[in-house]
Amino acid sequence: MVPAQYYLVLSAAVFCIGIFGLLTRRNALLFLMSVELMLNAANINLVAFSYYWGNVTGQTFGLFTMALAAAEVAVGIGIILVLYRNFDGVDVTNATTMRW
Amino acid sequence: MTPLQSTPEWVATAPAIVLALTGLALLLIDTIDPDSTNNGLLAGTATLGALAAGGIAGWFLIGGTGMESTGGAISLYGDALVVDGMSLFFTLIFTSVAAMVSVASYDYLADQRYQGEFYALVLFAATGMTLMGMSNSLATVFVSLELASLPSYALVAFLKEDRGSIEAGLKYFLIGALSSAVFAFGISLVFAVTGSLVLPEIAASLAEGTELVGVLGLGVLMIAGGFAFKTASVPFHFWAPEAYEGAPAPVSAFLSSASKAAGFVVAFRVFTVAFPLGTVTSIGGGSVDWSLLFALLAVVTMTLGNFAAATQQNVKRMLAYSSIGHAGYALIGLAAITVDGGAANGDVLGASMAHLFVYGFMNTGAFLFIAMVEKWGLGRTFEDYNGIASKAPIAAAAMTVFMFSLAGLPPFGGFFSKYALFFSAIESGFWWLAAVGAVNSALSLFYYSRVVKAMWIEEPSANLEIGSQPVGMYVAIVFAAVGTVLLLPGSQPVIETAQTVAAALF
Repeated sequence: MVPAQYYLVLSAAVFCIGIFGLLTRRNALLFLMSVELMLNAANINLVAFSYYWGNVTGQTFGLFTMALAAAEVAVGIGIILVLYRNFDGVDVTNATTMRW
Repeated sequence: MTPLQSTPEWVATAPAIVLALTGLALLLIDTIDPDSTNNGLLAGTATLGALAAGGIAGWFLIGGTGMESTGGAISLYGDALVVDGMSLFFTLIFTSVAAMVSVASYDYLADQRYQGEFYALVLFAATGMTLMGMSNSLATVFVSLELASLPSYALVAFLKEDRGSIEAGLKYFLIGALSSAVFAFGISLVFAVTGSLVLPEIAASLAEGTELVGVLGLGVLMIAGGFAFKTASVPFHFWAPEAYEGAPAPVSAFLSSASKAAGFVVAFRVFTVAFPLGTVTSIGGGSVDWSLLFALLAVVTMTLGNFAAATQQNVKRMLAYSSIGHAGYALIGLAAITVDGGAANGDVLGASMAHLFVYGFMNTGAFLFIAMVEKWGLGRTFEDYNGIASKAPIAAAAMTVFMFSLAGLPPFGGFFSKYALFFSAIESGFWWLAAVGAVNSALSLFYYSRVVKAMWIEEPSANLEIGSQPVGMYVAIVFAAVGTVLLLPGSQPVIETAQTVAAALF
């Protein structure tokens, strides 16, 4: 059996890939995908340690996370759609009418 | 009579239920006749729903539901939710802000489409915030945090033709999505270490010690990051100036007052219940000392917020940075908790809660005044505010009350809550936090008084014209101003209540 610690390494790797994508991509849709990767990294931990601890708390919460990720994407796509209409594209760096 | 002695326990969540049902009722009203929108009916329903929920919370709070006198906190659904004094106290903040915002939106939305959806989203976000106050498990914390956040994203981007609003919504959403992913990963790490999501069980598991101190520390840090986003504190503060400036002004009022308080209530509960300072500092040689972390964040947050506010030319953006500064003050409540603090811990946390309560009135009022100025079609810079007092003296007087109260000048509510906060921080031995706070307060008087000076002293520009006198906004602003002034004589009961309910956490 794979030791539980290995899952921590795997999830940390997936999480870091998500962060990397988020920092380097300018496309709002790729940004959403990166966030999805980060949430799924959390799910890996939850499911793996649910097995390790012998309860289903983590697995159940994993289902919650997936549902919330879907809800978040639904709102996000809506915002990206109006972004596309107002700024002629889904590049997140285009929207700079206010100064930082 | 004490409420709820013979009623089922779930009735204790009545404020959240009322808010959710009002949100659904708004959608229903909007659906009955899709071709016409009755703005007054919608705004009235939303306001009444929020006031009813607030009234129930106030009644429970006075009656002692979930407090020591009636048998302690009521926990529901396998400890996933808990109704106690703190959750009711914060429900009062959320509902009063939601009511003021609903009233003011009546005028702000007069010529907008999708009014029903707007009020429903405000009510759903308020439901999420109320549930955040009751959450006693990381699972419900996460779900209710999203329930509060998702409607907020849509509200910020509500003006679909306005590029500023879209940009604000996009930035708020992107940073919100990032921080909720970080938060979820933090929860998964804490679950990996403790094997539970329920806050008291996490504390019990940590009390037995753990070998995975590094994983725990990272998890706690990431959870703190999630709260920093919700409360607009450093390092996840940079969405706030953009989102507050671009969003419709009533939404800015809602987010900067209610949403910030919601972030704080859940942070207070998670850190005091799940990670008691005495437990987490005893494992791994004290490397998970979150009190130190919050002390650093408090100092950086209030200094950055106040200095950035002092350099702004745009009043709305100045208020956004001042809102970051106030998050720094409220963080003192967590920063000044000590292992052997005893009653002093409850005092400082309660003072922080009382400050958030007063802040709910004065900050909402200030943003609603800006909503009114936007409605009049004046500009957004300090110069554009020149001479407003000559045209609208009542509103200008109310704004003056908000500004001086935010700065913490003596005759207003903001003075007492700030005084109690700094005083209890000194009592806990954190005199340097109080000193930094006091210096920042003095600095903040500079930029708050600029607004007052522009309104009352500067000559109005020749073509200063204000159009209509929006009734709803006047009602909301005057209500907030009266609340801010009444919290001067009322500060003692508020602070005492807050400190009593906070002491129940330790």
